[in-house]
Amino acid sequence: MKKKLRMNPILRKELMVGSRSIKMSFAIMGINAFLAFIVLIVMVTTNLSSTYGGYDYSALSYLFPVLGCIECGLISLIVPIITSGSISGERERQTLDIMLTTPVSPFSIALGKLQSAMMVVMMYMITSVPVMAIAFVLGGMSWGALFGLFAMLLSIGIYVGSVGVFCSSVVKKSVLATILTIVIGLSIIFVTFTILTAGISMKAYQDEIMKAQQFQLGAIPMIMFLNPYSGFVDFLIRTMSSYDLYTLIEEAGDVDLPAVYGVIYKAWIPISVVVNLLVSVGFLKLASLKIAATRNKKRK
Amino acid sequence: MLQIQNLTKRYGKFLALNDLNLHIEKGEIFGFVGPNGAGKTTTMRIVCGLLKATSGTVYVDGVNALTHPDDIKRKVGYVPDFFGVYDNLKVMEYMEFYGSMYGMEKQDVDEIAEGLLELVNLSDKKDVFVDTLSRGMKQRLCVARALIHNPDLLVLDEPNSGLDPRARFEMKEVLKNLGAMGKTIIISSHILPELAEMCTSIGIMERGKLIVSGRVEEIMNRTHGSQPLHIRAFTPDYEDAEEGRQYLSTLLKEQPKVSKVTFTEEEALVSFGGDDMEAAELLKRLVEKNILVSNYYREKEDLESLFLEITGGVQG
Ligand SMILES: Nc1ncnc2c1ncn2[C@@H]1O[C@H](COP(=O)(O)OP(=O)(O)OP(=O)(O)O)[C@@H](O)[C@H]1O
Ligand SMILES: [Mg+2]
Repeated sequence: MKKKLRMNPILRKELMVGSRSIKMSFAIMGINAFLAFIVLIVMVTTNLSSTYGGYDYSALSYLFPVLGCIECGLISLIVPIITSGSISGERERQTLDIMLTTPVSPFSIALGKLQSAMMVVMMYMITSVPVMAIAFVLGGMSWGALFGLFAMLLSIGIYVGSVGVFCSSVVKKSVLATILTIVIGLSIIFVTFTILTAGISMKAYQDEIMKAQQFQLGAIPMIMFLNPYSGFVDFLIRTMSSYDLYTLIEEAGDVDLPAVYGVIYKAWIPISVVVNLLVSVGFLKLASLKIAATRNKKRK
Repeated sequence: MLQIQNLTKRYGKFLALNDLNLHIEKGEIFGFVGPNGAGKTTTMRIVCGLLKATSGTVYVDGVNALTHPDDIKRKVGYVPDFFGVYDNLKVMEYMEFYGSMYGMEKQDVDEIAEGLLELVNLSDKKDVFVDTLSRGMKQRLCVARALIHNPDLLVLDEPNSGLDPRARFEMKEVLKNLGAMGKTIIISSHILPELAEMCTSIGIMERGKLIVSGRVEEIMNRTHGSQPLHIRAFTPDYEDAEEGRQYLSTLLKEQPKVSKVTFTEEEALVSFGGDDMEAAELLKRLVEKNILVSNYYREKEDLESLFLEITGGVQG
C-alpha cells in the first residue's frame, strides 16, 4: 500500500477552524502589542538615563532575558488554556464518540491536539519576530540566539501542552482541566526545584558547618532535566554570561565529579530538550489510554 | 453480515445485555426496538467497537469486532443517538474532515461527499456552517458522514428522535434509498409503525434480551389471532341486560377456539384463536341463536400493540 506522509487530520481541521476565529488573531495581536510596549518603555527609560549624548543600544541587550521570560510565561499560560480544552471540548461537544469510530488512533487524536496548540505557539512566535528582532539585534544579540530562544520555548510548549492534553482527557470540564494543568506544571517545577535546593543546602551544611566534605551532589541536579524550564534557564545563562549550568554546579562545590557528569551537564540543553519530548510522549500516551477508556464510561 | 452470539455486557453489577443472539443478513434493514434501557445503544456501541463486551462474540462480515476493533471501523458507519458538530466548519469541510480521518484524499472525499449530500438532500447546503443547520439536517448530515468510507454496515441509533414529522419523513426517504442501494442497516427506534414501513426485519429487545426477531411479515403472522374480537351484540330474547350478557357469555365460551370472554360497557371482547374464516362462522352461529350483532371486528394488528404486549407495557 502506498504510504504517504500526510498531515494529522485533526491538526488540519483545527488549523482551518483556527484561522477563521477572530479571537485568536486578537489574542496574538494583543500579546505582541504588549511585548512592543515593554520594548518601548525600556528604550525610553534607558535613553533617559543614558549619560552619553547618543543612544546606548547596549542597554537593550538586557531585554533578552526579560522578553524571553515574558514570552516563556505567556506560552506557559496560553498552552494550558488551549490544550486543556482539547479532549474535554470534544467530549462536551459530543464529537469524541464519532472520532473514535474512525481509524484514527487515540494517540493520533492526542498528538493532533498538541500539534494544533504548537501551531498557535509558532504563529505567536513568528509574529513576535519583528519586536524581538528590534530589541535583540539592535542590542547586539545574534539571530541565532533568537531562534535558539524560540526552540527552547517550543520544547517547553510541547511539554506543557502534553500535560494539558492529558489533563483534558482526564477531567470532564475544560476549566478544571486548565487548572489541573497549571497545578501539575507548578508541582513539577516545585518538586524538582525543591530537590535541587535541598541537595545544595545539604551540601553547604556539610561543607561549611560540619566541614566534612563528604556529601556530594552527584546526580541530584539531574532531577532538573524533568523540569521543562531547565534547558531554557541554561540557555539564558549561556547567552547572557560566560557561565553555564555546569560551571554553576561545579561552583556549588562538587569538585570530583565523575567525568561523565561533566559531559552530561555540558550537553544540558539538547538533553533537556530530548527529555521534554520524551515526557511529552509519555503524557500523550497516558492521554490516549484515557481517551480509549472513555469508551467504557457512562455518557451524558 | 452481522452475527452476535451470546453477547453479554455488564456495567458493574448491572446486566445490560444478557446472552444476546442476533443474525442480520446482508442487505437487510433491521429495526431494533425496545423500551428505554433495553440495551439497544449498548449493543450498537459494541458492534461499532466503542464499547467492550463482557463476553460473547460479534462478527461483522466475518471479522471479529471484539478482537479487531480497528478493522471493524472501516466496515461500520455509526450515527450515535446524541452527537454534536463543530463550529466554524462548513458542510463540505465537515465531510472532508471525516474523510481525512479515514485517510482519504481530498479529491476522492469531495467526489463521494457530493453524491452523499445529494442522497441526504443537502446538496444546496454545501457551504453552510454545520452548526447553523437544523436538527433534521444535522441528522441527515451525520448519516452522510457515516457513509463517507463506504461502510458495509450502517448503524443508526434513533435517527428519528427529536425530529418533526416532515424531517422524519425525509429521514425515512434517505433510509429507504440506502436500503435500495443494498446497504445493511440497523436502526433503533421507539416508533414502531415507522420502522415497520422501512425495515425488512425487526427485533424486539427487553432487559438485554432479544424477545422476538424475524422478518416483519413473519412477526405480524406470529401474533395473528392474538387480538381480541370486539362484538357489540343485543339479546332480544332477554329483558334483563345482565341475563342477556350471561347467555351470550356462555354461548361464546361453547364455541371452538374461544378461550376467554370479557365485557366492557358496550362490547364483548373475545379471545379467539381462529382465522378470519372461522371468525365469520362464529358470527353466523351467533346470528342463528338470535343474537343481533351491530359491531364485529378484530382490532387491527400493528406493531405498536404487539410491542406493548410483548414488553408487557412496561416503559422505562
Ligand atoms: N456506562 C454505563 N454505566 C452503567 N450503566 C449503563 C451504562 N450505559 C448504559 N447503562 C445502562 O444499561 C442499560 C441499557 O442502556 P442502553 O443505553 O443500551 O439502552 P437503550 O435501549 O439504548 O435505551 P434508550 O431507548 O433509552 O436509548 C440501561 O439500564 C442503562 O442505564
Ligand atoms: Mg439508546
